Amino acid sequence: MDLQSIPRLAPGCRLHPSEPVLLVPEGTLNLAGPARDILGHVDGKLSVAAIVERLLAEYSGAPKDEMTQDVVDLLNRMEQRGVVRS
Amino acid sequence: MSTSFKPFSLIAEVTHRCPLHCLYCSNPIELQRAAAELSTEDWKRVFEEAAELGILHVHLTGGEPLARKDLPELIAAARAAGLYVNMITSGVSLSEERLATLVQAGLEHLQLSFQDIEEVSANHIAGTRSHSLKLALVPVLKRFPLAFTVNLVVHRMNLDRLEAFIGLAEELAPDRLEIAHVQYYGWALRNRSLLMPTREQVDRSIPIVAAAKQRLKGKIHLEAVFPDYYASFPKACVGGWGQQMMLIDPVGQAMPCHAAAVIPGLEFDNVREHALGWIWQASPAFNRFRGDRWMPETCLACPRKEKDFGGCRCQAFLLTGDAEAIDPVCSYSPNHDLLTTLRASAPEALPIWRG
Repeated sequence: MDLQSIPRLAPGCRLHPSEPVLLVPEGTLNLAGPARDILGHVDGKLSVAAIVERLLAEYSGAPKDEMTQDVVDLLNRMEQRGVVRS
Repeated sequence: MSTSFKPFSLIAEVTHRCPLHCLYCSNPIELQRAAAELSTEDWKRVFEEAAELGILHVHLTGGEPLARKDLPELIAAARAAGLYVNMITSGVSLSEERLATLVQAGLEHLQLSFQDIEEVSANHIAGTRSHSLKLALVPVLKRFPLAFTVNLVVHRMNLDRLEAFIGLAEELAPDRLEIAHVQYYGWALRNRSLLMPTREQVDRSIPIVAAAKQRLKGKIHLEAVFPDYYASFPKACVGGWGQQMMLIDPVGQAMPCHAAAVIPGLEFDNVREHALGWIWQASPAFNRFRGDRWMPETCLACPRKEKDFGGCRCQAFLLTGDAEAIDPVCSYSPNHDLLTTLRASAPEALPIWRG
């Protein structure tokens, strides 16, 4: 996953409408901290860089480097778990 | 009595009818009749009440859920209630048109099990001609926005071919892969001497599974469960009795687990007479082994009780005749020799199919 990657949720994975969890086949993944907001932008259209820009606009004052790292780390973990694709 | 436990998943056994007659079927010996099954309206209410209780997942299973003509309605109702909809199916008789109606209704995840790597043996285990139908369904599934799990059901008859079996699964390219050792409940218990793997088979299978996990990382999510009968400590059966899940059988009996009906004296409340929320809180069957009050002293004093919740009550009963006994899988059980004896023997046995 790099800044140009365009991540999307794997088939059968979706955010719960109100709880901070990702619903996946046979289970759920709890989304701590900003993870839900990050995944909320994963739509198969926005690139990782564009997702970071959106989040920077939402979390005003957040350092860009740290934000980028958090987003890439989360998406990599989710990709390893098979629930995000790029 | 009230409980602070919150159920997470609902297993909806919508019918016991099934075109397959698998030797390892874990459904009860006595199946429920079609005429007595819950109606569409009953299930709709169950799904709504489940969502209100905080349940997130429904697992449509059976039997074969496709045997229900109202399946699209059931899926739509579950989805409308807010549940994530999983379906476990043999895929037999599932046309592309019918699958389209199910996905349209809200089906999100489909699980297909395989019995072996080739036609003759797979059909022998399934008790019917189904292997080629399952294989043919896979490319059709891929045309839909649906999560797809392949479940490899393993036991003594096919465990020697595990590497090739995983290879077959990889070719089918599912999102998830489960390697499920047969458990000896319901009909499967009758075929235990035929199905229970040998120690050598189990030992050989462990590095094969570990290597596959490594190889498939990031491609196919693999979940494998160690075979219970070779463990030193029991499994956390159903995540603890009455703690995470509810099962509704085809006629509406609410059960804390798949096999609970084998335990003498347990009576199950029916969703035709009670709301799901009441059943979860107050049904005596759900409270019977909830928490640790029922536990023998050895379990009560054991820190593992936080992990395995005392193991499996049905297994304790099936192996020792006492549902309150320590699960004999546990090496602290005075009956653990029942398992060491079974492990040491691999008797010749003939398959017994459901009539």
